[in-house]
Amino acid sequence: MFNNLYTAIKQTLSRELKRMTSRPIYFICTVLIMAFSYVFFLTFFNEGQPNKMPVGVVDLDNSAISRQFTRNLRVMQHCEIVMHLNSHKEAREEMQRGNIYAFVEIKKNFEKEAVSNKRPFMTFYVNDGYLIAGSLISKDLTYMSAATSIGMQQKILRAKGVEENRIMGIVQPIVLDTHLIGNPWANYGTYLLNVILPGILQLMVLMMTVFPIGVEYKERTTREWLRNSDNSMFAALTGKLLPYTIIFTIIGIIGNMLLYRYMHYPLNSSIGWMFLATFLLVLSTQAIGIIFIGITPVLRDGVTFAGLFGMLGVTFAGSTFPIEQMPVGTRIFSSFFPIHHYFNIYVNQALNGIGAQYSYLSFIALLSFTLLPLLVFYRLKKAAIKQNFPIK
Amino acid sequence: MNILQKIPLFKKTISILKDTWNVIMNEFQTMFKDRGVVIMLVLAPLAYPVLYCSLYKNETLIDVPVAAVDCSRSQESRELLRHMDATQNIRIIGGFSSLAEAKQAYNEKKVHGVVYIPADFNKRLNSGEQTTVSIYADISSFMYYRIINQACSNCILAMSNQIQVNRLNSNGITGETATILSNPIPYEGTILYNEGAGFASFLMPAILILILFQTLFLGIGIIAGTSRGENRFHVLVSSAVHRGGIFRVIIGKSTCYFLMYASWSFFILMLIPRAFNLPHIGIPFDILMLLIPFLLASIFFSMTVSVFLPHRETGMIVFMFMSLILLFLSGVSWPQSNINGFWEAFAWIFPSTSGVQAYIKINTMGADLQHISFEYISLWIQTAIYFATTYWAYNWQIKKGRNKSNKSAKI
Repeated sequence: MFNNLYTAIKQTLSRELKRMTSRPIYFICTVLIMAFSYVFFLTFFNEGQPNKMPVGVVDLDNSAISRQFTRNLRVMQHCEIVMHLNSHKEAREEMQRGNIYAFVEIKKNFEKEAVSNKRPFMTFYVNDGYLIAGSLISKDLTYMSAATSIGMQQKILRAKGVEENRIMGIVQPIVLDTHLIGNPWANYGTYLLNVILPGILQLMVLMMTVFPIGVEYKERTTREWLRNSDNSMFAALTGKLLPYTIIFTIIGIIGNMLLYRYMHYPLNSSIGWMFLATFLLVLSTQAIGIIFIGITPVLRDGVTFAGLFGMLGVTFAGSTFPIEQMPVGTRIFSSFFPIHHYFNIYVNQALNGIGAQYSYLSFIALLSFTLLPLLVFYRLKKAAIKQNFPIK
Repeated sequence: MNILQKIPLFKKTISILKDTWNVIMNEFQTMFKDRGVVIMLVLAPLAYPVLYCSLYKNETLIDVPVAAVDCSRSQESRELLRHMDATQNIRIIGGFSSLAEAKQAYNEKKVHGVVYIPADFNKRLNSGEQTTVSIYADISSFMYYRIINQACSNCILAMSNQIQVNRLNSNGITGETATILSNPIPYEGTILYNEGAGFASFLMPAILILILFQTLFLGIGIIAGTSRGENRFHVLVSSAVHRGGIFRVIIGKSTCYFLMYASWSFFILMLIPRAFNLPHIGIPFDILMLLIPFLLASIFFSMTVSVFLPHRETGMIVFMFMSLILLFLSGVSWPQSNINGFWEAFAWIFPSTSGVQAYIKINTMGADLQHISFEYISLWIQTAIYFATTYWAYNWQIKKGRNKSNKSAKI
């Protein structure tokens, strides 16, 4: 019995390998697309954080203070002054054109008012229509303005003869010390790539589970497929999907290596946990794929379901916008997405570096997905023999 | 050729119009008969925007739980924590006596941040020294970090200003001078176009345009792949319909897609932003003017690529992942100014890039057509280029088909 199963799987496997080399789509959708995605995202987020974003200055005062402020802005990490504008309207229009993400406006008589203690307002306008650019620049400009203000205070207090050791206590009584747990550099690539690369991986795994199975039904070759596997659906699916499990796991692990070794993204646990999570992500996603093609063994519908599900997965992983802040019920819904559990493991292990016991539920969830295909074995087999589904 | 020239012009025109009409009707019929096409070209563009808008409808995070480790246990520290708790964005959870305890709660995901107030907090405040408050923020999501940091630093800044005035008083600087000195150069940061710094207001406009583009692209891919898979000699258009004129086929088909997507665009770009309260300050006429080249460029781009898809599923399997790539290429999340030259040029190939930028500039930032002239001209250039490539690709495909049928006729 065991021997039979072994030969059945082996036969199906070698049949599948032949099929895989018969059409370019197999190579494109496994190796090529994943390789392209890795190259794309790693070169795209190479900088880590968007630096030196274009900012404008409307300096209507043109005084020593205003020029000093402009010079100070030059050293900031996120902004770069690319244009000096003559009016608020001009600056606003440049912003609407998308040429600058923010501008600082220094009013006329700014210096005169500052010297005569009239407290002139320094205003900056930030475009949060581009939220990431906006909030990073806003942080820089706020810091710069606060620093200018503090510098001014220090100068005045010194002039008034306040003791040096009391000055800091006056100008800045409470200092805020911010720690970012696990990702001290607040690297933007870290947020995104740790969910997008596995996101594309699970999308392609879904596609390359639904397609190789569905195409058998479409081309009416299911009887041959079953005959090869000794009429065992288990052997038929295992032999067929094993090459993809291996290929995608290797590609996924290469992805892990790229993120944690080559890019040095935060990894506060053993990389082995991420390898394991990647392997389980591939396995559980294949199980979901079998369900999709099992519900209706029609290739076109399977691909549509898989595509919609795979795209939603990126949202439901919970990185872009936290799941618990989404409408009620979304939380339950998100647990049907293997990548949601993968992301949990990533946060617990790689990012926070806490004990593996915190992730055991996620590991169990991923494993239990692999039992799902049992639900559609019978249906797939019946359809494979009767071939009674539309092929279009 | 001779026969054609002898026919009076008006008759010729009528026959051309008739042909085109036939192509349009034929295309509508094939579309609505095919379940896959209906899902992609009708269901997806109508359901996806509603789904995504509902998921992201909260815009910002509300009452994120943050653990407080208050080692000072003084009136001042309690006041600071009360202020933090009163913000919309975070909620303070007390009762943690040490950082280790708070970390335990963080590990169990009961809280997403920790505020640590040291034991000498009020002592230092009362003696006029500088003191430090530490916060630890969850950064598994960019939103947590941003919200927690912002709420805490605002509260600390407000408290600092209060203390500053008191300390200046105790140093003999009083009255108006103290107020001025506590903040000699007041600054004011004004957020434009997305005043609440909302997540949906920022991301959804780009997603809306991408939904239009991707469903159109994948839908046309299914139609073209199907006709290649089904028709006798794998010809894209069955010869019974077009009777020779490639232009008529292209114009007919694209009119059909255009009419359908013009209505979806009205729903997605005009109604959805109003229903879900996304930014919508654009002038409807400008959006309409933008839509024409955007839809045409997208349609011709899709028709060109679709010629090379051998089967109906190929497009979806191979190009679904591009949705994510296109989102980043559009320069909304990662700013366009920081996309390197190669990827910027690559991004220009896709009409979605200019479409997203132009739509956001008009509808989120209130730009008018003159401000988006770069994107607008780009889209018209793309329309022209992709119309030419569509013509070339269809021509190639139809000729290939004719040769095959001629050969088989001889046999």
